[in-house]
Amino acid sequence: MTRITAWAKVLGVGVGIGVATATPVLVTPALASSEVGLPQLDFSTYPTQVFWLVVSFAILYLLMSQVAIPRISEVLEGRQERIANDLDKASKLRDESEQVRAEYEKALTAARGEAHEQLRQAAEKMATETADEEAKAGATVATKVNEAEARIEQARSEALTNVRSVAGEVAGDAVRKLIGVDVSEGDLDKAVGQAMEGQA
Amino acid sequence: MASPVEQFKLKPLVPLEIGGVDLSFTQSSLWMVIAVAVATVFLTAAMRGRSLVPGRWQSMAELSYEFVANMLRENVGSEGRKYFPFVFSLFMFILTANLLGMIPGAYTSTSQIIVTFAMAFVVFIGVTVIGLARHGLHFFSLFFPTGAPVYMAPILVPIEIISYFVRPISLSVRLFANMMAGHTMLKVFGSFVVALGIFGVAPMVLIVALMGLEILVAFLQAYVFTILTCLYLNDAINLH
Repeated sequence: MTRITAWAKVLGVGVGIGVATATPVLVTPALASSEVGLPQLDFSTYPTQVFWLVVSFAILYLLMSQVAIPRISEVLEGRQERIANDLDKASKLRDESEQVRAEYEKALTAARGEAHEQLRQAAEKMATETADEEAKAGATVATKVNEAEARIEQARSEALTNVRSVAGEVAGDAVRKLIGVDVSEGDLDKAVGQAMEGQA
Repeated sequence: MASPVEQFKLKPLVPLEIGGVDLSFTQSSLWMVIAVAVATVFLTAAMRGRSLVPGRWQSMAELSYEFVANMLRENVGSEGRKYFPFVFSLFMFILTANLLGMIPGAYTSTSQIIVTFAMAFVVFIGVTVIGLARHGLHFFSLFFPTGAPVYMAPILVPIEIISYFVRPISLSVRLFANMMAGHTMLKVFGSFVVALGIFGVAPMVLIVALMGLEILVAFLQAYVFTILTCLYLNDAINLH
């Protein structure tokens, strides 16, 4: 016990010195007047302090572990869960939208291909039609040309026949006038034919 | 004029004696009970909404929870989860008691060496028991740092043993001395304000600044006490 009070004095004096250097005039007499150094070193107060500390801390521990901590951790876990769920949902939605986009793109590609095909078919059809028309027109023109040529040929041969008879008559007349001989039509015709063939 | 340490004197509010032992309900006991009530009301009332998006109070309650939870996780690991309720209660108790002490006229229960020592002693005994239960005699390898040369053992082992057993003292004195010094200082400057009359404005300004500092110290010491508890727990659970 004596040792304990000695400690108390040492500590009290220690504090006293610390305070005394700061406030030499005001505090030193006051400190001298107090019987014990530090009230904290009054051992008679220890049982009550420890008792009430144990009581209040035990109550606090119970309240914390039974009420406060479960409540806070519940909220924190709920939030964590909610965030995880939301992230999950978001990623699911993203996947879905990705899928939809892929489908859309596929449909777009298909539609584009189809349009291309239709365009190609239309162009082909148009080309064949044009070719048909052209062929038809060509055929018409050809028949017309042929007809015209036949007509021209006919006209020429008619003309030639006329020329032959005219030439025969002229030749007969010319022979009669020149030599007074009547040449038969057959001879004349033969002679004209020979002359025309020789000329030709 | 009273001594600046006069403020720490206990006054019995409800005298109580059981089996010849004085267990009076003092103003220190009252403020401990108030601390318990304030901490509980703060944490439960703030969480009453259980909102997904927390408001101001709920944020503060969640912040204190996560602060201690992170401290325990970072220093002890997942093994420390079991001790979270105790460490959290310890932190909230010290923090609330320290902060309540800043109210003028209130009593700072943590400025009593026996209070801080009792808490530190419980931590010390608890940590030692946990260490012995987990590792058996291997727990004593704590007294010889791994990797140190064997011939250093005669010096290192006594040092480690002493430092181990000094833990409850250093832990409790740190908190107690900080609280006592702060309040003593405030009292000294407070007496200056009274003594200097009109010129007391100067120490008054100083007191305002000191109050800010003391509030910081209140947080800091609660944090230091808790983190050291975590470190001791880590020693016991994971050795070195």
